[in-house]
Amino acid sequence: MLRYLGKRALIYVVMIFLTTSAGYFLAVSSLKPALLEQEKIPRPTPEQVANSFRLLGLDPNLNPWERYVQWLGGILTRWDWGRSPNGAYVNAEFADRVMISTRLFLASIILTLIIGVALGVYSAARQYKFQDRAITSYSYLVHILPAPIAYFLVQLGAIGVNDAVGERIFFVTGISTPGIEPGWPAFVDLVAHYAVPTFAMTVFGWAGYQIAQRQYLLDNVNADFVRTARAKGLTRNHAITRHALRVSFIPVAQSIAFTIPAIFTGGFFAEAIFAWPGVGLWSIDAIGKQDVNVATAMLAYGSVIFAIGAILADFATTLVDPRVRAQ
Amino acid sequence: MTNLIDPVAEIDEARAADVVIGKGRIIFRRFMRNKTAVAGLAIFLVLFAFSLFGGFLTTWDKETIDPLNIGMGPSPEHLLGTSQAGIDLLALVVEGTRVSILIGLIVGGLSVLISAVYGCSMAFFGGKVDSVMLFILEALIMMPAILVVAVATSGGGQSLKELPSWLLLIAVLLFFSWMGTARLVRSLAMSLMQRDYVKAAKYMGVPSMRIVRRHLVPNIGSLLVLDFTRGITGAILAEVAFSYIGIGIKLPDVSLGVLIGGATGQVSSFPWMFWVPLTVMFLLTGSLAMMNDGLRDAFDPSSTSIGRASTKKKTK
Amino acid sequence: MSSDITTQPSVVERQPADRLRDAGLYAPGDAVLSVRDLNVRFNSENGVVHAVRGVDFDLMAGKTLGIVGESGSGKSVTSMAIMGLLPETADISGSVRFKGKELLGLGDKAMCRHRGSHIAMVFQDPLSSLTPVYTVGHQIIEALTVHNPGMSSRAKEARAVELLAMVGIPSPQARLKSFPHEFSGGMRQRVMIAIAIANDPRVLIADEPTTALDVTIQAQVLEVLHAAQEETGAAVVMITHDLGVVAGMADDIMVMYAGKPVETGTVEDIYYRPRMPYTLGLLGAVPRVDTSQKSSLVPIEGTPPNLINAVTGCSFAARCPLASDECRTAEPALLAVDGGTGGHRAACIKSGTLDGVDAHRIFHAPPVPVSKFDGVSRDGRATVLELKDVKKYFPLLKGSLFKRRIGTVKAVDGLSFDIREGECLSIVGESGCGKTTTLLEIMEFHPDQDGEVVIGGVSNKAATDGKTKQAMRKEMQMVFQDPTGALDPRFTVYEVLAEPLENLGMPKDAIRKRIMELMRLVGLQPDHVNRFPNQFSGGQRQRIGIARALAVNPKLVVLDEPVSALDVSVQAGVINLLDQLRAELGLSYLMVAHDLSVVRHISNRVAVMYLGKIVEMGDVDQVFDNPRHPYTRALLSAIPVPDPELERTRERIILQGDLPSPLDAPQGCNFATRCPVFAALPREKRDKCLTLEPALAAEEAQQFACFFPDGEIDADMLVVHA
Repeated sequence: MLRYLGKRALIYVVMIFLTTSAGYFLAVSSLKPALLEQEKIPRPTPEQVANSFRLLGLDPNLNPWERYVQWLGGILTRWDWGRSPNGAYVNAEFADRVMISTRLFLASIILTLIIGVALGVYSAARQYKFQDRAITSYSYLVHILPAPIAYFLVQLGAIGVNDAVGERIFFVTGISTPGIEPGWPAFVDLVAHYAVPTFAMTVFGWAGYQIAQRQYLLDNVNADFVRTARAKGLTRNHAITRHALRVSFIPVAQSIAFTIPAIFTGGFFAEAIFAWPGVGLWSIDAIGKQDVNVATAMLAYGSVIFAIGAILADFATTLVDPRVRAQ
Repeated sequence: MTNLIDPVAEIDEARAADVVIGKGRIIFRRFMRNKTAVAGLAIFLVLFAFSLFGGFLTTWDKETIDPLNIGMGPSPEHLLGTSQAGIDLLALVVEGTRVSILIGLIVGGLSVLISAVYGCSMAFFGGKVDSVMLFILEALIMMPAILVVAVATSGGGQSLKELPSWLLLIAVLLFFSWMGTARLVRSLAMSLMQRDYVKAAKYMGVPSMRIVRRHLVPNIGSLLVLDFTRGITGAILAEVAFSYIGIGIKLPDVSLGVLIGGATGQVSSFPWMFWVPLTVMFLLTGSLAMMNDGLRDAFDPSSTSIGRASTKKKTK
Repeated sequence: MSSDITTQPSVVERQPADRLRDAGLYAPGDAVLSVRDLNVRFNSENGVVHAVRGVDFDLMAGKTLGIVGESGSGKSVTSMAIMGLLPETADISGSVRFKGKELLGLGDKAMCRHRGSHIAMVFQDPLSSLTPVYTVGHQIIEALTVHNPGMSSRAKEARAVELLAMVGIPSPQARLKSFPHEFSGGMRQRVMIAIAIANDPRVLIADEPTTALDVTIQAQVLEVLHAAQEETGAAVVMITHDLGVVAGMADDIMVMYAGKPVETGTVEDIYYRPRMPYTLGLLGAVPRVDTSQKSSLVPIEGTPPNLINAVTGCSFAARCPLASDECRTAEPALLAVDGGTGGHRAACIKSGTLDGVDAHRIFHAPPVPVSKFDGVSRDGRATVLELKDVKKYFPLLKGSLFKRRIGTVKAVDGLSFDIREGECLSIVGESGCGKTTTLLEIMEFHPDQDGEVVIGGVSNKAATDGKTKQAMRKEMQMVFQDPTGALDPRFTVYEVLAEPLENLGMPKDAIRKRIMELMRLVGLQPDHVNRFPNQFSGGQRQRIGIARALAVNPKLVVLDEPVSALDVSVQAGVINLLDQLRAELGLSYLMVAHDLSVVRHISNRVAVMYLGKIVEMGDVDQVFDNPRHPYTRALLSAIPVPDPELERTRERIILQGDLPSPLDAPQGCNFATRCPVFAALPREKRDKCLTLEPALAAEEAQQFACFFPDGEIDADMLVVHA
């Protein structure tokens, strides 16, 4: 088992190296921070720009290959992921950004998984009844609504609540109010900032898990082994909860394991709409600022998280499925 | 893109002459029996017509500024009002719908094509070729598509700058949209290759390419048709989401996403600017989802619910 | 779900008591299970399916009732209705009484008190019938817990071990913690039986319990069922399509057709004195493994009616050669037959005239076809296929996520044989013995293969260019096991048959002519060529498959289990067709089959395979009448014969365990681990079997690979039912 996971990890390392390198070449050839510098007032000369960029390791006069070698050398020898055009170190900012993303996503991902799976089971048990149709239709509706617009609509709703009450209960953007005193007021402030994004991401997030859990359970409801359990003397409901549910959880556990690492990557849309400066927003901003090193680092980070998710998913399968465990 | 649906229609016609009910005809009938799906198809066709001929509903075009009506609500002069810049919203929505449908059709159609070719090739060649192609596919799945979209569309690079932003978006969406289906096609094709009728053809000495053309492709067809509508929806949604946060289509190009995104700032002062394009987008993706449901039932008899089967009795 | 029997129009308007008196069998008080006028209807997309139409029977304590019927006859639905396991949408009426207590109409919860404790069931597919994520012990203990909430967990575990031991699972204590996937199919079916008898049920329903298993495993499982019945004293309902399986076990038989019992009686009544044309046909349609038959099988033309349209008249009339107008006006009642014992009843208005008639005559069985090669000695005929030391080894990979090679499977290990003109050679053996791989190796026909395959004089070693291969493809064609999977669902029959011809570059006119010819040749209507495969029945589809194989006029046809997917009554027609084509066209067949009765009927020669090797080969009658290798002897002894007298008295060899994993292939004779002769050998003689590999040696026309042919069988592996 360990040998297998080791081999998988090795393949992913190769894959991450290749995708990141490809990403670097794409970024380096299409992002030109020098052009942005030209818009500054007073306007620097191209020589000045080139000079300051050379000091940051972003020399625009080198060809992509030379820059790639320089960049890769930095990572391999000093674990230095380079600097932004404004001089900031990628490594230094990374931890803060991840922290913010994690704070934003932790609660909503856990809620999404629990509610999604629970509703999936509930709707499967009431297949074709009113509750099932309502829950499942809602999930399909979510599928045809782009996430940023959905979040925006929740924001509108929260503003509506604030207006109706006549007091600012919810903050629709930002992490915290600057200068708030610690203790109870800080906690209230945190909840007020936290509520809207968490609510939005949860209600628009569970649809996929609900549909998947419902389908997997329905696939197993009429399985032969459920019939065997009923023939033993278990009622239909007992047979389903003890046998079909347990088997249907195998693929769900796999996708949950895959999702968990996503807590640390945050999301582009949510962070952009709710103005939480996490990993996602950082990447988008970086690209706006033509920042090659941050863009590439984020691409690498995203790939690493994906790979960890995939390996966790395999691992989860071996935990819940004895057929895989034994081998 | 129409050639993906045509084979079904063709088979349908060819077999209509027989007393025997052809499979295409059965599929058509099953689809037509699903009221929701038919309604979805109707809505989609209406929107399609609107995007082509909607321009005739107004005398204004998408570029002309009406200096007398800037940021005005609906009026007889401007049926849907005007934008903050004083451009007729109806003209903008027609243009936006056309761009969105265009993106959907091109991305949906081409990605189905790519995934069919890529997936079938993997299954057919197998071995080393399969492993390498699978590696590439998984690497692409692993890449965060949105970052690449952002890099490609916001780049200051010379070569990419020449392209209109919608074309660039199409290229990038296409690049990241086909992998899931390709993997499905691969496993389906692999199981088809194990079917006895494919073995039979092989043992008769039928050449490989002919087996692929006559046995594999038609049997994967239903999956591809379903994926085509799903791909259109996905592309339209992706365009809206990307443009909304400002990394997709850029002005002066117009799309539904650009219109929706541009209007969020003043949604309380100019609500029509937000709700009109949003409603159109909803009708578009909703109609496709409705059709998809009907297509799935039509192609896959086992997905029909028992509840429906007992209430609707087939009249043969 | 109504238990009100008067609302349903029954065929015969009489009270159950009257019917019982008619039957004259038992007083209803004695029966553990009484079923009266059971009707089941389902809603389907095409209309209401009346799947079970008026089933009556009484099951006495400790007795066995066999329900025999083909697929769609309603036999499984009947059992599920008794158990209360049909979906809620099913409409069930009539009466099912357990010891006088009505079960129909009970709610799920009330029914659960009976399910698993009073009435238990064993299902057909052991591979999917156990929950994959729980241990076997957990699943047995669950059955105990449901009905004995007060039982201590130690007592439950002890009982579970006892049950596993009872059904013959070695080291039961350790196996409690195993998961179902760690058991073979036969072992899983034993576990299913253990679960079923856990609470000493009074009624045990077994629905095709051995259909998915190999013959040697089937024999083991039937023994376990027999032992379980003796142990618990339960009454058994045995549902099967195989007339052989119930012949030795059942006391009474009920033959079902189109949802209705058409003949009931004691097992002797049904097998020796059938009085309903369907039963007669069914018995005549099954080939016998124990005798050399020099007659054709009884074909029953047509297919069973679909149960959507209400039947007017006898449901078998459409396929019955004796049917007259009278038969088509009213459905005949199940009435006591003239001159029979009281319990023998048949649903046929002509049953009185059917005493002792020959099924071959009334069903117009075709005469035995004569081939032009019949008079020619084997040596005088040309060789159409020759295999010389063909081998096929696979790497054995382990692990479902990450595969690593842990050994080599010798799927085919040095096979040599030849087939002459007009001859049928059959390869038999358990699944996993390498018989299908052998066929695939022959069809592959590639120069890189290990060993030489010569087809019509062309060797695979010479098949380096496309032309040679093409030439060989004209000589040899294949018919597949599953007639549905072998035909592209999107092709019309015309397209199916045109494919090989187009490939030869035949002009369009000639193709059309040839296809019409082929349709007639295999007994299909030429004007059906525009239909799609799904519009044909299984038997017709297999005829299309045969027609496709014959299209290019091959000399040799490879048949992979050609009739195993077909119902008994349809199977006979296809076997007769194959017989006739071989004679008329001078074809040679290479057949793989697991059904030894079919093999005996159709083949001239037979090769018995075990773990990739031929262990015995020779003339079919010689090998079957005088098997020399212990494996052949065991295999033949495992086949149940549709003859109750013989079944009850004959000795049978029950092999222990399953086919060993090819990895453990031992040195010496690879059958030694299961060999009943080896087990009986004195220690000093055993060494030879364990160290030396017996070669396939000829004795007269029969070849076998055993040091101790005809040896004495170990007493533990020999079973005689008293």
